[in-house]
Amino acid sequence: MAAFTYAPAIVLLPFVSFLVALFLGDRMPKGGALAGIAATGGSLALSIWVALTVAGGGVYNEFVYTWVAGIESVTLRFGLLLDPLSALMLLIVTLISFLVHIFSLGYMNDEDETGLPRYYAGLGLFTASMLGFVVANNLLMAFMFFELVGLCSYLLIGFWFREDGPPSAAKKAFLVTRFGDYFFLIGVVGVVATFGTGLFAPITEGGEVVAQSFPVLAEHAVVDGETAGIAMLDTVGLGPQAWFTVLGLLVLGGVIGKSAQFPLHTWLPDAMEGPTPVSALIHAATMVAAGVYLVARMYGFYAISPTALAVIALVGGFTALFAATMGLVKQEIKQVLAYSTISQYGYMMLALGSGGYIAAVFHLTTHAVFKALLFLGAGSVIIAMHHNENMWDMGGLKDKMPVTYYAFLSGSLALAGILPFAGFWSKDEVLYEALIHGLGSEGGLATSYIVAYAMGLLAVFFTGFYTFRMVFLTFHGEPRTDTARDPHGVRWNVKGPLAVLGVLAATVGFINMKPVAELTGAHIDFLHAWLEGPEEGGWPAALVTDSHHYGELLHDVAGVSAGEPLGSIGTLLASAAVSLALAVAGAGLATTLYRGPDPVEHTDKLGSLKTLFMHNYYQDEYQVWLATGLTYPLARVMDKFDQGVVDGVVNGVSSVSLFSGQRIRRIQSGVVSNYATLLTLGLVLLLAAFGIIGGWF
Amino acid sequence: MIPVESYLLLSAAVFCIGLFGILTRKNALIFLMSVELMLNAANINFVAFSLQHGNLTGQVFTLFTMALAAAEVAVGIGIVLVLYRNFSDVDVTIPTTMRW
Repeated sequence: MAAFTYAPAIVLLPFVSFLVALFLGDRMPKGGALAGIAATGGSLALSIWVALTVAGGGVYNEFVYTWVAGIESVTLRFGLLLDPLSALMLLIVTLISFLVHIFSLGYMNDEDETGLPRYYAGLGLFTASMLGFVVANNLLMAFMFFELVGLCSYLLIGFWFREDGPPSAAKKAFLVTRFGDYFFLIGVVGVVATFGTGLFAPITEGGEVVAQSFPVLAEHAVVDGETAGIAMLDTVGLGPQAWFTVLGLLVLGGVIGKSAQFPLHTWLPDAMEGPTPVSALIHAATMVAAGVYLVARMYGFYAISPTALAVIALVGGFTALFAATMGLVKQEIKQVLAYSTISQYGYMMLALGSGGYIAAVFHLTTHAVFKALLFLGAGSVIIAMHHNENMWDMGGLKDKMPVTYYAFLSGSLALAGILPFAGFWSKDEVLYEALIHGLGSEGGLATSYIVAYAMGLLAVFFTGFYTFRMVFLTFHGEPRTDTARDPHGVRWNVKGPLAVLGVLAATVGFINMKPVAELTGAHIDFLHAWLEGPEEGGWPAALVTDSHHYGELLHDVAGVSAGEPLGSIGTLLASAAVSLALAVAGAGLATTLYRGPDPVEHTDKLGSLKTLFMHNYYQDEYQVWLATGLTYPLARVMDKFDQGVVDGVVNGVSSVSLFSGQRIRRIQSGVVSNYATLLTLGLVLLLAAFGIIGGWF
Repeated sequence: MIPVESYLLLSAAVFCIGLFGILTRKNALIFLMSVELMLNAANINFVAFSLQHGNLTGQVFTLFTMALAAAEVAVGIGIVLVLYRNFSDVDVTIPTTMRW
């Protein structure tokens, strides 16, 4: 498989562009942009090649480099796992990154920004880290690149470090995600200590498994009771399933931080301080996607734990609704998009939690396309508006920038989930999976799924509303300021990526039209087939990362089963109809309220709710309170203890020496005769002591 | 043959004379001489035991001690000279500045 031989280059090319832009960017035309474009373009081409090879039935899971060799302990090895999931993700990341690089020519270079080499170096490293994370075949390597992604987000969000906002937002993003990563780190250590391996999929040679993966080991422990090799279980004193749930939830901490799920979502809206292309990259492909991708990557581990699944589903459903309500009242275009990102990743978590592995990957794919599009569209608007982001200062941009408008509209329809745009198909599948599994499962799992589904469904309405409020305020009506009357023009490097993504946002949903497939009986749910693999043999037998296997695990171990009260097609259509109706209703309400030449603000009608939404449910205040009101006094008490008790004991001991030293030094009189006397006296005393002990007398 | 106890008594006597000189006198030159006496008391011991045991180790060691004593005197005289230059006297109780 020649494609796999060159696969490491997918990661290395953007890394090289990082080095080139950093060290030679000053001397290059466009500040190193061309190196980045070439590198991501090359990575994109290689990713396509890899995807084609995977489509032909090839998979790859090998270690390629040993970084730290441990003696009788953990060895940090870099390896590549190329299966349909990672191949798909490679395509998404490289494509978005490539387009973002081109867009940056318009957003950064044409706007005469300074520090371009630093910017392109950051983009290159960001892409390289995310690609490294995507291809990682073990948890330790994944964690490393996960952290690198966090570092790059810090560097890029704080790009305009001379202003007040960006450095603070960058620090916040870094610290909040670090807080989640702290749990992830413990989870990684726990997994490696428990299983002795962090492999996501077994490594096979000639049909023989040479290195087993931890999800498979966990599965054997839970299903077949093979816990002999897992010494950790005796140490913690928990049953295998309970302990694996704990481990899964620890890793989930990192996911919640990176994917901006409640309660660690607060960094993401602030991250809008960064350059807009960076926001597009963070939200669509690199940083925020990493969390959801991690859950999908080790889904076999979560699929055996109903508790972890329920937590994921509830966190996802709640976040979807919670973030959508905050998006309703925002005045800045990027803020609306930021909250929609949080909300959409909530949907993916909902899908993963409720057993919709394919639905989650599908929504990840479509969201990557339309959210990148929306952010780049917003970037185009921001260029036109001379970096004013307030939607109330815009209006009427439709006629002045048609390419941006139509592309943005395509992305908005996809985001709102209107037929036949991409978001409809994926969001519908997410909700459908949550619904049928909520109806079919039993006990607490069913309750949590139904609750999560209800929250997700309600969020559809809000999504439709805030999306079209944004569209109408930005593009329709009469221009409300002079800048909007005479916007700054944009060039091909802005329009090109928008056009590509605009077309994709309308069409990418066709890769998995499940309702149509069910109705017509045609096999057009390609993503389904892609992730499920061939029925007999092939890569699923070797890697055990196919959706079919996950489905079996969910059903047999976690007790997730489907219930279809209206028959399979009836339920499918009912679910689709409900979500579409809600999306249209939301969009329709926004149309009636905000269409017209001079829309007025209706948010005051929400009364105190508006204040609540505008202040983001006081989450920031609450977290600041946690820091200053709780952690800080606690730290003060600790400091007192340290300074008073610990240091007190040490100082007390030393003060004895200090005091006695002060007294005893007086015998150093400076008179030689005294010294001689003391010496003699000492000798006599010593002799006397020896005499007494030795029994001479 | 004279018994070894006699030598030891002689050595103890010489040592005590040296010690007495150091403890009671204030003249730096007397100090030096007293130290020499004490060193030679030790030398007498070495030689006496060398004879007692019938080997030469003690005598060889004595040679070393003499060389050491010579070196010590060289340094000592130097110190005494500096002492005299600074205080116009060789009384060791006058310079008391080298202390805490």
